[in-house]
Amino acid sequence: MEWDDAALARELESLAPGSDDVADVFSERLTEISIAWRDGSPGDPRVCVETGTAARRRARGDERLAFVAGSGDAAARAALRALRGEPSDDAPPAEAPSTERGPAEAARWMRRLPALLARHAPRHRLRLRLLRTERRIASARRPVVESARRLVSIEGIVVSASRLGDEERPFSFHAPDGGEIADALKAALVEAAAPRDRPIPVVAGETDVVLANGSAAVLFHEILAHPLEADAERSPLTASASASAGPITVTDLDVRDDPRRLDLFGGYERDDEGIAPRAVKLLLSGRVGARISDRSSGGRTGSSGHGRRAAASEPPQPRSSNVVVAAGSATSEELVRRLGDGLWIDEIQSGSVEPASGAFRLAFHRARRVRRGRFTDEIGPGFLHGEMLAALRRIEPVLGREAHVCRTLGWCARDGLVLPVQGEAPDVLVRGLSVRPAR
Amino acid sequence: MRFEDVAALLERRAAGRWELYRKSARTRERDGGRGLSRITHRAEEGWAARWWDGSPAGMWFAAGSDAGGLAAAMDDAARLPAAEEPPPDWPKNPARKAAPPEPAEAADADPPDLAPALSEALAAAGSERIALGSLSLRAGEARERVANAAGLDAAQTLFAFDGVASAIARRGGSARAARAAFRWDPAAPDVDGLARRLAEAASLPLSDRASPFRTGQWLLSPPVAAAVLAAVSPAFCGERGPSWLAREEAASRAVRIVDDASPESAFDGEGVPSRRMLLVEAGEVVARLFDLRTGRAAGRRSTGHGVRPSFRVPPRCGARRIFLEASEPAAAATLAASVRRGLEARALTAPVRVDLAADRYEVEFTGVSIVAGREQGPLGGARASGRISELLRRIQAAGSDLAFFPLPFPAGSPTLLIERTSFD
Repeated sequence: MEWDDAALARELESLAPGSDDVADVFSERLTEISIAWRDGSPGDPRVCVETGTAARRRARGDERLAFVAGSGDAAARAALRALRGEPSDDAPPAEAPSTERGPAEAARWMRRLPALLARHAPRHRLRLRLLRTERRIASARRPVVESARRLVSIEGIVVSASRLGDEERPFSFHAPDGGEIADALKAALVEAAAPRDRPIPVVAGETDVVLANGSAAVLFHEILAHPLEADAERSPLTASASASAGPITVTDLDVRDDPRRLDLFGGYERDDEGIAPRAVKLLLSGRVGARISDRSSGGRTGSSGHGRRAAASEPPQPRSSNVVVAAGSATSEELVRRLGDGLWIDEIQSGSVEPASGAFRLAFHRARRVRRGRFTDEIGPGFLHGEMLAALRRIEPVLGREAHVCRTLGWCARDGLVLPVQGEAPDVLVRGLSVRPAR
Repeated sequence: MRFEDVAALLERRAAGRWELYRKSARTRERDGGRGLSRITHRAEEGWAARWWDGSPAGMWFAAGSDAGGLAAAMDDAARLPAAEEPPPDWPKNPARKAAPPEPAEAADADPPDLAPALSEALAAAGSERIALGSLSLRAGEARERVANAAGLDAAQTLFAFDGVASAIARRGGSARAARAAFRWDPAAPDVDGLARRLAEAASLPLSDRASPFRTGQWLLSPPVAAAVLAAVSPAFCGERGPSWLAREEAASRAVRIVDDASPESAFDGEGVPSRRMLLVEAGEVVARLFDLRTGRAAGRRSTGHGVRPSFRVPPRCGARRIFLEASEPAAAATLAASVRRGLEARALTAPVRVDLAADRYEVEFTGVSIVAGREQGPLGGARASGRISELLRRIQAAGSDLAFFPLPFPAGSPTLLIERTSFD
């Protein structure tokens, strides 16, 4: 992805004469290797090598974006020509493929995964995806920035055998590739395949819930991070923050959105506008904090480094990355005792929020019922739902003393645009959430 | 590298057992709302190849945004293991060539700025304070070419005019947002119809009123009925559907279920000609949908239902333009007037959930309650759930107002009247 940087800089400066104007060229090479695994046997191999370049100009609220396939200098020039509305030749600018090849990474996983699966979850239908992105961004009056990221994502079904018969359980695990993730993956597989009692259906109504094992990160991703994305609709959370500066939840609760956590799936060193990210305090001592912003929405304080693109063909949006919740001091035993009667949930499968109304929903596959401070029945799939402000007000001022990475949280879709995200959270006790069974 | 060069590369790699696909799309998009005005021009390329190799044979798939990327991806994919799978029966060039489509000039122009007109229509359509959230309009054309080792070389041009809009309704301290995906006619965009749909979807949930009935008749407006059909459509794909679909009376005789993509495209993602497939008639399943791979597994020919949601993934069997057709269409107003006691679903408040194997569905919606053919008032939210098989069998009547919606593939339905459903 080599460019004539000096020539590009001159051109971008001419496109953005005002100090608030934005002009940039973004180029991406994405390599994705995907292999299906069924009961230990690999198959259905897919490899996709994609390159794309987009030029953008934003001035006085008007934005234009032009995208062409390919990368390199020719593609950058073609994108700029398209941005200026000049005619272009039909042939897309191509470039020699990268010399770095994905199969080396794939080979490592082909050696590692069968042993892990055979030992801990021999019956499964999973898909392994290895993603490598290389990005280059040139902006007017800024140096050219390059970044690269490697991610691994495993999703599908693990079959758990027990005396009562087989049970298919959804499985997902997302992590940056290259780190020490084998132990975390092993633990996730063991947990997914562990025999459990037959679940009983959850009874609809209100219940107290402990979101354990990092799953509270999904709740905060939905009810804090999304409403605080700078381009989000006005929500009860932001309305409350502008009406009063007082705490809206327990003062022990500190929640940040931190892209700098490169050990998490949503981390990065530079955002897709070339900005070095900073952690945004979403909730500080129980008070609503700052907004997640990009260059367009940053205003006087500037971008928080959250300008993210779902693809080179899409414009950047202010989007959440890694939701990180500070740990407290309570042990699991203390939390179970505090919970008294309610549900203990180790894993949230998916979540959604409607910022305008504040309504959110979290789906879980399994839970454990707690009665009089002791674990009792296994509970089947269901949904937790509620309103964001009410849920924040009902958080108990006791947080688990260890923050757990939520490796099941990996992809976030907003308006159809999908980005890697993740989070880390201690065990959190929330009173009075609504629950109902998934039928 | 040209298309023919890549085809030659594939022939050397897997003689007689390959397929090559290319899509070139040019789109223009206008985004507005929430203080944003953006024009996006995209010139996208997508190449995909799959080939069968080895003995016993396995299938490999590679994709790239240009021929060079595809070639690199093919090299990389070839080093990975593939599970055993026999190659399909390749389609050959169709005897009848598809007529080239009329050039759509509107695909070469920026979409119009409909935001002011839609804002005005929203204000006129709802009694609540309703504001336009965002509006995105897209216009464009895509050229597809598919070739295979059996000599097929087919090309077509497709035009797309679609969009997504959102609106926010407020009453007191409450607010609700609604989003609608739609297709638009560049000659006469239906702004008022879109405004009505958005206004209902955003303002009806502001009502505190819950469902007054636990069971009753259920009137589904076309967008809701189409979403239910789209969710159920995988049941018609491949050799064997769920057992509940194999019964003699699998559905009501009041409707036919059809898949017919021929008005929009000449062939599917594997180069097999599109055709009208009558899936359910007189209550019985009379045909099933196949792509090349599921057809091969079932010992059948492809029905032209190899869909490619993206060049990045191999084609798979799926509905392409499925719809419900009334056997004896009635006016939608007549259907509403015939409701003795029930609910009308006008918009979804959550995606339709189905479990095809377990024969279960769950639809969350907003709408109005009806008694003796008269609207009783808005309904904040309700949930209908039960067996899919019963839902299909209990279709009492269907309207004459068939409409299509991008879900994301086109799915259509008229207004449907279900004789009995459980609500909560």
